[in-house]
Amino acid sequence: MAAANKANSGSLWLEKISKVFPARGGSGEVTAVNAVDLTIQQGEFLTLLGPSGCGKTTTLRLIAGFEMPSSGHILLDGKDITNQPPNKRDMAMVFQSYALFPHMTVFDNIAYGLHIRKLSRSEIKEKVANTLDLMGLQDLGARRPNELSGGQQQRVALARSLVMEPRVLLFDEPLSNLDAKLRVQMRSEIHALQRRLSITSVYVTHDQVEAMALSDRIVVMNKGQIEQIGTPDEIYRRPISRFVADFIGRANFLEARAEAVMNNQATVTLLGQTMTISAAGNPKTGDTLVAVLRPEALKLRVDPQLQPALVEQAMYLGSEIEYRVRVGQGILTVVENDPRASHIFREGETVGIDTIPEAVHLLPA
Amino acid sequence: MAAIIRSRPIRQFRQIFQDPVLAVALIAVSLFVFIAVILPILAMVSTGFSAEGLPLFQNYLQNPIYQTIITNTVVLGLTVGIIGTGLGFLFAYVQVKVKAPFKRFMHLIALVPIISPPFALASAAILTFGRNGMITKGIFGVRCFWGQGRSCNDIYGLDGLTMVLALSLFTVAYLNLKGMMLALDPAMEEAATNLGASKWRTFRTVTIPMLLPGILSSFLLLFVEAIADLGNPLVLGGNFEVLATRIYVTIIGLYDTNAAAVLSVVLLVPSLTVFIIQRYWVNRQSVVSVTGKPTGTPQQITHPLVRWPLVALVLAICLLIIILYATIFVGSFVKVLGVNNEFTIDHFDFVINGYGSEAMTDTTLLSIISTPLAGILGMIIAFLVVRKAFLGRGLLDFSTMLGIAVPGTILGIGYLLVFNNDIQLVLPFGGENAPVITLIPKLTGGRAIFGGAMAIVIVYMVRSIPAALRSGVAALSQIDPAIEEASISLGADNALTFRKITLPLIRPAFLSGLIYAFARSMTTISAIVFLTTPQTKIMTAQILNEVENGRFGNAFAYCVILILIVLVAIGILYLTVGSTTGAERTLEGGA
Repeated sequence: MAAANKANSGSLWLEKISKVFPARGGSGEVTAVNAVDLTIQQGEFLTLLGPSGCGKTTTLRLIAGFEMPSSGHILLDGKDITNQPPNKRDMAMVFQSYALFPHMTVFDNIAYGLHIRKLSRSEIKEKVANTLDLMGLQDLGARRPNELSGGQQQRVALARSLVMEPRVLLFDEPLSNLDAKLRVQMRSEIHALQRRLSITSVYVTHDQVEAMALSDRIVVMNKGQIEQIGTPDEIYRRPISRFVADFIGRANFLEARAEAVMNNQATVTLLGQTMTISAAGNPKTGDTLVAVLRPEALKLRVDPQLQPALVEQAMYLGSEIEYRVRVGQGILTVVENDPRASHIFREGETVGIDTIPEAVHLLPA
Repeated sequence: MAAIIRSRPIRQFRQIFQDPVLAVALIAVSLFVFIAVILPILAMVSTGFSAEGLPLFQNYLQNPIYQTIITNTVVLGLTVGIIGTGLGFLFAYVQVKVKAPFKRFMHLIALVPIISPPFALASAAILTFGRNGMITKGIFGVRCFWGQGRSCNDIYGLDGLTMVLALSLFTVAYLNLKGMMLALDPAMEEAATNLGASKWRTFRTVTIPMLLPGILSSFLLLFVEAIADLGNPLVLGGNFEVLATRIYVTIIGLYDTNAAAVLSVVLLVPSLTVFIIQRYWVNRQSVVSVTGKPTGTPQQITHPLVRWPLVALVLAICLLIIILYATIFVGSFVKVLGVNNEFTIDHFDFVINGYGSEAMTDTTLLSIISTPLAGILGMIIAFLVVRKAFLGRGLLDFSTMLGIAVPGTILGIGYLLVFNNDIQLVLPFGGENAPVITLIPKLTGGRAIFGGAMAIVIVYMVRSIPAALRSGVAALSQIDPAIEEASISLGADNALTFRKITLPLIRPAFLSGLIYAFARSMTTISAIVFLTTPQTKIMTAQILNEVENGRFGNAFAYCVILILIVLVAIGILYLTVGSTTGAERTLEGGA
């Protein structure tokens, strides 16, 4: 694709961007996006992730220009585009509902933007044909959107944006209308395509697995603000807040006291085991901390040396076994995904619980 | 100052005004609605409350004659509202919930009254059920249908009026309730049955309450239409006088605009009240999601004791409608229907080649001019109201709807008050010889611009835009805004997006807006009866003239031709605008 000739463009900069909406039902205001600062590198795949109402979609719509920011600036390749109308921004958006034009064929849908750019008929034909090829839609050009499957509609939506060779691609939860299997397949297609064309991409989702699979960097948002920015690995392994830890993957939280601190490593006692592990937020000796224990960081086995745990629930999920166990007053979730573990503990059984220190992370309380 | 510039309304307008086309559209429609709807109503109200008008209020409200007229008006509204809604409910219920034969036929007959030229049904009713009616006298040999002897209760008066108005207006209730019944999730009724409720109990405790908002809104709609109607009470009222006819007589007979304005204010009160109730209360009560996909086929009633009486009742009413329309048709081809049934084409000759030809061409031409304008304006206002955020959005919608919420006679008087002279702006310099700019030339009365045709076209538009607006709003709310955003994101501006994406997608709504606008324009009487001039003849006004002089044959010929013109126009609109876009398959079918 000719996107290569724009290889050195497509960097976005959001500068203290805010969006205030009138509250639903009359008086008052709601701050959907609150002073967000964000730099997106050219060719980067960046995901805005968060629960519904966190401001991620509003941020995307601000970038697209469908909403005007209440304050702040948006710069594309160093040029201020804050007041530029959406149709003048060199970006293309893939919508959650695909938003295909139902009264046009697949070909006309993809050609729509090219017509507006006043390209010649032959040029349009060639570009659309190339894009159809790229997306594996060769034979579907004459169809109407309602004659396509969900996955094909998604491809057409993507093709319609890609054919414009935009500087920035915007994705608004594009996979959420697909069934689970198709979603995984399209996820990998988007991943491969974006890496190949290296178009700067901003992707909104509430699905953390999708975010981790696709992104160079993830922006976790909460209540209109950025909670944490980092690579998927950083976000998962070293969340900086309980919110991030809870939102990305599943986590058990246990309180612990920092018995000693050195080089951002704290020594704590968890489930009867003393360990020295990484800690966020510069804790001091004696501080109360929260330990994040992913379900796969906990192991169950029959061992009288270990802290006892009562199996309250055991669910067999095929690739893994999920337990809910009672330890003292609290309930912990444990996932056993070692295929060698052929034994399933029964509900009501008391076993020992073990911790893998490398998979534990400490947060300020 | 800075705070004002940054305030939200200003920012919204700045956003709209960034696109000059959008800005022009917004200014143009606002100006049109203000001049063509708001200004006449305001003028009428302020004349009513002027120094000459105010004493009349007291006079009228205390005078027993006027008290009777006001009571009559309200009673007529109530009876037509109840009976018309009942008819609509009956037809809709049989159509959707009862296993019945001839459903298609019933549906078509229920649609027929949409094209009812004013006076047509009333005149037909007089000839069939009147004192010398073909059915009352000819078949039953009576001069009155019931109450013979002491008080002869014939077709003239409340009962005849109610029958004719209910039959002319029930289609709205029928379509409204049918839509709601179809949208009603059958799972609700299945759930009730599943919990042990009988069919009757389900009907009483689930179906009716779910439909209540629709029933109520149909009732209010018919109430307003009935109290605003001029044509039928004029012909069929007899001694039963209502406000609309009294206003008409006050203008036509007494040339007293002050008194007419006062009476109009009195008529405006119930009309506006009901409109506001309907708009801000009833519509909020809706529990039926009309957008939801039906999850199953509704269970239909098969019990013979319920089924056959309902079917028989519907068929009887269909028969009544057929008789009345047949009377119109036959009456136009015979000398004097019921008296001298000799075949003749004199009536058509009169209309097509004689005195009526001018009215025929004028009316059609003016309707042809107003229809596309009304359709486009309706869609543009719908687009602005649904898709754009700006201060006064609700007001624009409300003001546009006033065009139909206000009785036609009132609008007509408002036009007389506002546009009977040039509206001029005297520039504030030059003293005695200050230059004068004519903002709006004289639109009504003698020596009006285009012989008064312009005022009539505007009134046609004002009366038809509301329906186009509503169907446009309904259609737009069904369309994912992301589709328009996708177009913009691909580089199209607002105007191009509206033309290439929005308009094609709401084409069915646009088409129904156009059809309604044309039919409405061709058949409207109350709003234009004061605006016709010797240069501009309008068919409906001519029909009134013929009916008042007892020349029913000519009136019927007018009606038949009018119906034909409307049918041909609908055919042409279907062919040119097209009823399907390929889009509604996805929009309606969902999958």
